[in-house]
Amino acid sequence: MGVLDVLFSGQLLFAALLTGALYAIVAVGLNMVYGTMRLLNVAHGDLVMIGAYGAYWFFTGFGLSPLAAAPVVAVGCALLGLVLYRLLFAQLLRTTGNPVQLEARSLLLFFGLSMVIQNIMATLETATPRAYQYLEVVYRVGGLAMTGNRLAALLVALAVCIAVALFLRFSVFGLALRGVIERPDAARIVGVNVERVHWVSVVLGFGVAGVAGVLVSMMEQFSPFIGFPFTIAAFIVIILAGLGNIAGGLIAGLLLGAIEVYGVALTSPNWRSVLLYGIFVFVLIVLPKGIFARRGRA
Amino acid sequence: MKPALLPGSLWAVLAAVFLVLPFAQHDYLLGIGLSFLMWLALTQSWSVLSSMTGYISLGHVVFYGLGSYTVVVSWQQLPLWVSIPLGGLLAAVFAVIVGLPVLRVRGPYFVILTFGLAELVKYVLLAVEAAMGVSSRLLFGAPDLVQIYWMMLSLAVASTALLWFVHHSRFGHGLKSIRENEDAAETLGVPITRYKLWAYMLSAVIPGMVGGVMALRSTYFEASQAFDPMISINMIVMALIGGGTTAMGPLIGVAFLVALSELLWTEAPQFYMVILGLLLVIFVMKLPNGLLGWHEARRRKHGRAAL
Repeated sequence: MGVLDVLFSGQLLFAALLTGALYAIVAVGLNMVYGTMRLLNVAHGDLVMIGAYGAYWFFTGFGLSPLAAAPVVAVGCALLGLVLYRLLFAQLLRTTGNPVQLEARSLLLFFGLSMVIQNIMATLETATPRAYQYLEVVYRVGGLAMTGNRLAALLVALAVCIAVALFLRFSVFGLALRGVIERPDAARIVGVNVERVHWVSVVLGFGVAGVAGVLVSMMEQFSPFIGFPFTIAAFIVIILAGLGNIAGGLIAGLLLGAIEVYGVALTSPNWRSVLLYGIFVFVLIVLPKGIFARRGRA
Repeated sequence: MKPALLPGSLWAVLAAVFLVLPFAQHDYLLGIGLSFLMWLALTQSWSVLSSMTGYISLGHVVFYGLGSYTVVVSWQQLPLWVSIPLGGLLAAVFAVIVGLPVLRVRGPYFVILTFGLAELVKYVLLAVEAAMGVSSRLLFGAPDLVQIYWMMLSLAVASTALLWFVHHSRFGHGLKSIRENEDAAETLGVPITRYKLWAYMLSAVIPGMVGGVMALRSTYFEASQAFDPMISINMIVMALIGGGTTAMGPLIGVAFLVALSELLWTEAPQFYMVILGLLLVIFVMKLPNGLLGWHEARRRKHGRAAL
């Protein structure tokens, strides 16, 4: 098969869509947590990992299908978020005034949390990758072959992203959330309960990350250490899309997925991480203010 | 600055202990001494950039790895007294090349950028090595532990001296002004771009050489180990536990973590990582200025109470 056949195959397009939708759904949660609180959650990918193990436990323990387990896993991750918010984040937000300092401190805090989460999981489940088989039936449309689990993952990821985007666009909470992202002080003055926006963002963001983990576990094997590449991808997506811009995040996620899938198809799987980190470094250097460009104008 | 916590006698005792250690003929103790000196050399160098300027590097392992790679690739082609300094030199050159764009990025973005950059270099090397059909490289006939120990001791001394000189120099005061308020420092005429680049370069040289020496210790090279992000994380945690900008802070942190890792790392590595993570959380939340900062704050409070 020539290069052009590879590029124009429906198979690759499907793979790109799927990767992109996954990145988008992972980024949704990070966007809310980072956007509203300026907490640089580098442990975000570890919630995806927890979600993956959650689905695995329900599947192997109770024979529960991952799609049915997804809401339960989401609630579990959301509760974890609530506990961490009460124990750590709220205090960090209260005691650190300066936003630059807050971001630096939160980064180290989340790095510590990430190490704790990964290694507790590695102690519980060993570092050996796990996987289970679910919906392996193959659907064919024209020349395109899709397994049921991948198709389901794509549809769920897109549905969740669109649902969150619509909710934030049209609900009062969404308005408050955008207010807190753009002008936290002004939002407080006009009567927005900023603390409530904070904890709801943590709960929603962590829950959605858990769902993303369930989707990952349906298709690929996972270990306690799969989280970080997802965090990196999510950062690329929110920097490209801008804070609070969930719909833009969907487009940026699909773009990143396409670059990765087509890039790997043209080179070799060895270059996948090179490509991901390369884009990450490039985006941070070329947009040195990253998301702050918006704040500078305001 | 009153050196109340920096008694010269402590450093003298420490130097004496490390000078005598190789003559004890005790490989286990010598191994611990070596790892202490390695972390001291790395963390003091890291402090030249990160404690002084507040630009926290989460990717200093990249210099270590480059130095390691230099020594391994030139093994038996260049003598060690050339290849180890060459590793340091290449690390510094790399710092200068990437420094200009990277140091424009501020705050937490700098932190994750340095991490991403180190991982990028690691994966590029892994892909290149895989394309060449090399998965790991072995070193035959590396020098023995005592020789490696002497090399590391000189690097640790050099690194401590470097931090001491920077801390007490005009250059160092410039760096500290960048940490306190970069824009104000620039307005007052501190050449911030040049200073940051110098700090970045200076903080890269010794880690490059340490990486080269540690390649001799492990006698093999694998990119995923020589560029292990844990090495960067250890440096941060050590500096954070100690706190402060003097050479004393890293010493406290290094002593604490080397003891902890000696107790736990081989027996229960995952437990060690959990402890390390918890330490990060606790220090960020409760003691952001480290043990040294906590001690000084207490002293000040008691001093005032006495008045």
